[in-house]
Amino acid sequence: MDIIQKMFEKFGYVPVETPILCPAETILGKYGEEGEKLTYNFKDAGGRGIALPYDLTVPFARYFAANYNNLEVPFKRYQIQRVWRAEKPQKGRLREFYQCDIDIIGSKSLICEAEIAKIIVSTLLELGIDDFKIKINSRRLINAILKSFGIPDSKVTPMIRIIDKKDKIGEEQMVQELSNIGVENGLEVLSRLKPMNSNKETMDKLRDSDVSELETFMRYASDLGVDDKWIQFDPMMARGLDYYTGVIYEVVSENSSLGAICAGGRYDDLCSMFCDQNFSGVGVAFGFERIMMLLKERMLVVENKSCSNVLVTVFDESALKKSLSAYNSLVEAGINSEIYLGLDKLNKQFKYADKKKIPFVVIQGPEEILAKTVTVKRMDTGKQKTIPDSQLVEYIKGYYEAN
Amino acid sequence: MKPIRIAIQNKGRLKEESVEFLKSFGLKILNSDRGLIGKCEGQNVEILYVRHGDIPVYVQSGAADFGIVGANVLNERKFYVKKNKSLGFGKCKLVIAVPKNSGIKTISDLEGERIATSYPNSLKRFLKENEINASIIEVRGSVEISPLLGLSDAICDITQTGETLKENGLKKIIDIFESEACLIQNGFSDKEFLN
Repeated sequence: MDIIQKMFEKFGYVPVETPILCPAETILGKYGEEGEKLTYNFKDAGGRGIALPYDLTVPFARYFAANYNNLEVPFKRYQIQRVWRAEKPQKGRLREFYQCDIDIIGSKSLICEAEIAKIIVSTLLELGIDDFKIKINSRRLINAILKSFGIPDSKVTPMIRIIDKKDKIGEEQMVQELSNIGVENGLEVLSRLKPMNSNKETMDKLRDSDVSELETFMRYASDLGVDDKWIQFDPMMARGLDYYTGVIYEVVSENSSLGAICAGGRYDDLCSMFCDQNFSGVGVAFGFERIMMLLKERMLVVENKSCSNVLVTVFDESALKKSLSAYNSLVEAGINSEIYLGLDKLNKQFKYADKKKIPFVVIQGPEEILAKTVTVKRMDTGKQKTIPDSQLVEYIKGYYEAN
Repeated sequence: MKPIRIAIQNKGRLKEESVEFLKSFGLKILNSDRGLIGKCEGQNVEILYVRHGDIPVYVQSGAADFGIVGANVLNERKFYVKKNKSLGFGKCKLVIAVPKNSGIKTISDLEGERIATSYPNSLKRFLKENEINASIIEVRGSVEISPLLGLSDAICDITQTGETLKENGLKKIIDIFESEACLIQNGFSDKEFLN
């Protein structure tokens, strides 16, 4: 989470937090049928309708609408908070989870879209994930293509919801569902939307429609150092949420079945639902738990590790003064450390370090104190090293710092 | 027209041979003994005399078109320069050495010990590849005296003939890599070197 937060700040986003308990009318009616069903909402003791955030975009749009007079526009913020969805909990799908969002509100420039792609790539690579694809598409483009097939406006949203289910249901069922809502040329529409082997081929295939938005976005992204290999133009990727209007993103890890690890897009009209001015916004949310699951699967993070790198043991009451002083110099030097809280036998103190997977223990018994030395034991190998006590900090640092 | 700028060592083991190498291309360097910029007679070439470790910095920023630098410097830090070719001089090795009477004899004996070096990244990489955990004590120079002063149990440093090691009562136990002078140029530049 630290890495994600630092990356957001690197690109000039400032932190914002929004309330957990929201008036129901703030949250409801923004996500579409599916999202609405999954939103927690209830009456409080005073009979007021309360909803819990389903995502961070809507509460943020509400926040922005109430505060834009006092904010620099375009406004770039990041927000790392929990959201709630009334789902059946399963792998990668929780009722309560963290989203890490960035959004830019108040600019229609496609530089925003490109910057967000850049941040996605930088963040995932920094986390050690390098098998991802940012699927991109544009709601404007889907709408235009559907229109070219003579689909009436009223059917566009239901169609997008069906296309969005493409990974869950097969093509046949999609055609069937499309036909159920009165779209008979579903097969043709779907074949038109099917992505080709490369972004360029897909782009060329759809050139009859206006692809300039995506082309410009991709050009900016490329100039920002985003390699084309990370991006996959998929005209069938729809994102189910109703509020998207322009470019949309969905990031998947290719060697994982977890589903999207990041998702987002451009929303032109969300803010105007909360104030009488129109501000276009664009953003992306990183699904924190899914990213963590991915990292754990790949052993890129170790679970249940203590934060401490060093345990300072306490030999006996008379050695306590030295131990406290060693502990103090370690923490003052910025080394994560702890001191054993008690006067137990050394063996018991070692066991404590072992259980907490603390790599080093520091021992200062009467001999060491007399010789002005300190013994450092490495817990995994059991190897001990006695050094002058004045070198303790440098010695430990020498394992972690080298740049 | 802008002169072609070539950065070389201002002092140290590569300087003389770098100058000789440049002369072999017919360059007549006018003031190779003093000053930071040397002009060349009849040619639009300037020689920049800079600190060894700074040569790649000059080249990656485009302040110099080319540089002559030891591979040891390039191994230690990531620079956005491309290696044009190895030059066959300035050969040396990055080694690990210990006091003559030390109990440390093999790589695995280094576990848990203190190793002083001015090449912390190269050393760190080497230790990691060999799955050794040791404390890297970073010092800028005079690495060889650190065991004598009780600051370290071993050192990791560049050696050419092994003389300095011997003088300080040290013996080499491991070679990490061999280095020689390289011609480098900016990662974005496709200029031809003096032809």
